[in-house]
Amino acid sequence: MFNIKKAKVLKATRAATVLCAMLAAAAQAAEPDFSGAWTTYRATGAGAGAFAAPGGQPKLKPEAAKALADFTSVTEGTNYGAGNACVGYGMPGSMLGSGGYPMEIIQRPEQLFVIYEAHNEIRRFYVGDEAEDPKDFFPERNGYSSAHWEGERLIVETSRLKTQVDSRYPHSNQATVREVYYLDPPQENGARVLVAEMTMTDPLWLEEPFTTTKRWSEMADYHVMSYECSEPKWLDEMEMLYEKAGLEMLQE
Amino acid sequence: MNKIVKSAVLLLASMLAIPALAHHSAAQFDFRNTVLVEGKVMEARFANPHMRLILEVTDAERGTRNIEFEGHSRNNMRRQGLMPDMFNSGDTITIRIAPMRSGEDGGYVTAVRIPDGTEIGAVTAAD
Repeated sequence: MFNIKKAKVLKATRAATVLCAMLAAAAQAAEPDFSGAWTTYRATGAGAGAFAAPGGQPKLKPEAAKALADFTSVTEGTNYGAGNACVGYGMPGSMLGSGGYPMEIIQRPEQLFVIYEAHNEIRRFYVGDEAEDPKDFFPERNGYSSAHWEGERLIVETSRLKTQVDSRYPHSNQATVREVYYLDPPQENGARVLVAEMTMTDPLWLEEPFTTTKRWSEMADYHVMSYECSEPKWLDEMEMLYEKAGLEMLQE
Repeated sequence: MNKIVKSAVLLLASMLAIPALAHHSAAQFDFRNTVLVEGKVMEARFANPHMRLILEVTDAERGTRNIEFEGHSRNNMRRQGLMPDMFNSGDTITIRIAPMRSGEDGGYVTAVRIPDGTEIGAVTAAD
């Protein structure tokens, strides 16, 4: 009798375990896989002119406008700029524009990597419990990103940004960015479409939250390239040293 | 061959046979009025954020001098079909450029014309 009861309990436990596994698998299946190479969305058959970042500009408070004007006054008409100095765009420029370069997403359950080809910028989205307290990390141009799933949508919260005036989207170090990633129906040619609705909030520099939407088309079979940028400067320095020493430089 | 420039500043550069001005802001290139330039490749650096190309150019008006041109990042050059072996050192090549609005030597590489007359690349703006 006891054994029969025990067997029933075991059977029920196994059934519950299987059910839990099925539910977990179903929940997992509800989360889309964003892995792949993506480029700024353009309609099927559209020409190369469709690579612009989404429109709209943050409404700057007077002190922010002044900071931006100062930056413009010292760089306008020169070749000085973050990109020419091999410095990446930083958020939200990396996500919204990135110079029209492709990006790659590598998705693991606990972490997503977003690799923007331009300047090899990398963002990491730490999912759920994998995320730590952003305050424990240094401020960065791309900040620190925590994420969680709400059904088929990935919600990404980014903080620990640095004050940036060298951006199309200036912001203070108090700015935070919320992105909502999801897939739209595929294009006519079958390419998947990724969407990110973004809101940047900045109590110091913005009059109001800045909201815009970025869309990407998947690039089938495309390999995102690396973007070595500092090497030319180093080669110039090497060349100078070799010339000074009267030696032949073989490195290219 | 196209006449490219009429700048006194660049006359000095041509006399010294050194590359003209390096790196300009994108607004200085005239992408609506591209021209062809023929020259001998003295240096071609496929690099990011921009390529650097130095051609030895000769024309009746200005004589022989080295001119430095800019171009897309190497990543975007590749996407345009423009590869390093089209710019071999010592080769004489023909490129299409967006010239400097100022009329100085230099410009932004938009395409390469290969011997059969085909142009590879269709750059319409600086990256």
